[in-house]
Amino acid sequence: MTVTPRRQAAAPAHPAAASRPRGRPATFVRGRWLRTIPGQLRAGTVLVLLAVVALPAVMGMAVRNARDSVQTIGHDAGPQVVATGTLYFALSDMDAQVASVLLIGREHGLGIGYDETLRVYDRRRAEADAAAVQAAQLAARDPDLRLTVQEVLQGLGRYEQLVGEARLLDRQADHPPGRLPAKVVDAYRQATDLMRLELLPKAYNITLDSGANVRRSIETQRSAVLSGRAWVALTGTLVVLLLVAGQVFLARTFRRVLNPALVLATVATAALVAVGTGLLSAQAGHMRTAKEDGFDSILSLSRARAISHSAFGDESRYLLDPARADTYEQTYLDKSLSVLYPDMGSRPVNLENYYATLDEQVGAYTPGKPVPFLGLLGTEARDSGASGPEADQLARTLNAYRTVLDNDRRMRDLAARGDHAGAVDLRMGRTSNAILQFGAFDAAIGSLTGVHRHAFDEAIRDADGGLRGWRALPPVVAAAVALLVVAGVRPRLAEFR
Amino acid sequence: MRAVRRTTAHRTAVHRSAARRAVALAAALAVAALPAACGLGGSGRPSVAHKGTLVIGVKADQPGLGLRRSEQGGGYGGFGEYEGFDVDVATYVAGRLGVPPDRIRFRTTNSSVRERALADGTVDMIFATYSITARRKTLVTFAGPYYVAHQDTLVRSGTRDIRNVRDLKGRRICAVNGSNSWRRVVEERKIAARPVAAPTYGACMADLAAGRIDAVSTDDLILAGFAAGRGGTIVNAPFTDEKYGVGLRKGDLEGCEMVNRAITRMYQDGTAGRLLRKWFGASGLKLTTSVPQFEGCT
Repeated sequence: MTVTPRRQAAAPAHPAAASRPRGRPATFVRGRWLRTIPGQLRAGTVLVLLAVVALPAVMGMAVRNARDSVQTIGHDAGPQVVATGTLYFALSDMDAQVASVLLIGREHGLGIGYDETLRVYDRRRAEADAAAVQAAQLAARDPDLRLTVQEVLQGLGRYEQLVGEARLLDRQADHPPGRLPAKVVDAYRQATDLMRLELLPKAYNITLDSGANVRRSIETQRSAVLSGRAWVALTGTLVVLLLVAGQVFLARTFRRVLNPALVLATVATAALVAVGTGLLSAQAGHMRTAKEDGFDSILSLSRARAISHSAFGDESRYLLDPARADTYEQTYLDKSLSVLYPDMGSRPVNLENYYATLDEQVGAYTPGKPVPFLGLLGTEARDSGASGPEADQLARTLNAYRTVLDNDRRMRDLAARGDHAGAVDLRMGRTSNAILQFGAFDAAIGSLTGVHRHAFDEAIRDADGGLRGWRALPPVVAAAVALLVVAGVRPRLAEFR
Repeated sequence: MRAVRRTTAHRTAVHRSAARRAVALAAALAVAALPAACGLGGSGRPSVAHKGTLVIGVKADQPGLGLRRSEQGGGYGGFGEYEGFDVDVATYVAGRLGVPPDRIRFRTTNSSVRERALADGTVDMIFATYSITARRKTLVTFAGPYYVAHQDTLVRSGTRDIRNVRDLKGRRICAVNGSNSWRRVVEERKIAARPVAAPTYGACMADLAAGRIDAVSTDDLILAGFAAGRGGTIVNAPFTDEKYGVGLRKGDLEGCEMVNRAITRMYQDGTAGRLLRKWFGASGLKLTTSVPQFEGCT
């Protein structure tokens, strides 16, 4: 059923006009042919065919939008934004390592050890560079963002210089742990102020800003997919209704019960539209999962991890710079609050009440029950289900965090009682498992991130898989429907020959 | 052929109208489905990113930050002439959102009504020493902070023995009704200062000058604004972070992201540094002229 039938179908065009060939256009415009049955049949067929052609066009557009959104969040900007999150983490951990090195002084075996601390520092420096490259790529078309990335890189150079000076002075001083000479403290203050007041905020904003771009394009693409779905349903309904109307017309005009070809065309169209709208709904769902369960959670956990490392560094700073101890204690509290903010009621917001309410509320935490605490981990807890790997890892993370805060409480107790050396020993793990337990918290938050990364990868894989074959399918089905329509109408037209 | 046509002529009209009805039905469905398709992106009130005019909530009684210049200048709700750092920052940000100064209306918005004013649309944005806290974030979307202020201490010029918050032990400090600042010293830090009640920070300044109290402890920008007019020394020993955010209707993420970009630009092009020096430069306060860490739009 290829060329021949179509030519045959086309041959008896305008039978009324055929007797008066010269008057053809005029007759056409006058529209009298529309009052004849073959004329109506042809007009109806053309209408159906036009609607059938529109269907794959509309579908193609919606599928293209879906494909774009998978590309953005799953393969291009999404992973890059996550990579820039490393920048904040690497920078803040660099400064924490410097604080450790200065704090232990000449006792190179304390904590994770002098050499290992410097190795970690170098590794973070390399990670910061790699993340900055990703950030620079994301900022290619955004001058403000590019400037911020440049400022961070330039600032990092200055920071390393200041750290070099502090370490030189530190080596020369050859001091016991926790007893830093004022000039070392002064030199370190310059470095850490640069890091904490200028570089870290900018690094944080880079991830926020590029994440905002991803959010915006996902939102736009998602609503394009959903309105595409509405258009597919609409066009599909139109085709089906036209086919049914044609069926009715044929049945009444020619006194036949059913036209098998048209029935087949109707079923094929309905099936394509049903599967197509289902696919688009599923795509919008995959996008939502990838964004909310994957991307958003990965980013906020990476923030929680970076902020808690930075708070852990504040403990060292608290010990090495007694004149600023109050400030560092306050920043420790602020950072802890942004990671997890227990409901303290009307109690004053200080560390003492923080420890107590945290202990109470994390201790009472049951997955799936209402969550009384806010903050980054609070948000994650609220979004988590009652069971499954996410709930398990979250519970582990919360408990590990509780232990970290308990170590902090013990360290500050010692310091407040005047036992500075005891506080340093506790913080550096000589008389406690403080470092190991912080490591356990870090590992727990890493596994929790892993759960979300898995959810993200799965959603993107599903989205990629769902779209496979959808470039070819709609045109093929539409072509088949068109042929069926022609095949269904042709024998009826032949009756008039 | 003609015979067929004749016999079915009356029916044709009926069929045609049936077919037409089907087409009309499809068209009606199309029209009905359209609003659903278009309404997907909308979520109630428009974002501040797309408004032609803006009503901005500011304070009216904080010199250097938000001060209403003439009391008789306004009517109900306090329209009138405002000045200060918050007002200038708001004007800059609104400009970056495409709203020129003549299409901004400032409105006095006191601390107790801020959340409600945003929720019911009385104001579109708030720049009013509005500290970002976890609890407020559940009610309000915060852009910024546009500045991180710190609680600090103001003493009479010449006072040498108060150098940080701990030195407030046994000293008389101002306890402004409804303000949390004195509690942060006495309750949060457990420093045994002696609170002396006062109705406003303006009254605190008079008390300090008259020797009825020894120190005023609150946000450094507020202290700097007062100190600029009346003397006094800021001790430059900050002990909290107060993140001054831009309050937006809860859920206006697009507006929030636009405001953050405006703030980034404000620091990059030097406007922020210039405004900070303009309003607080004379106070002796250490100012941070690098962009603050944003809170993230939620």
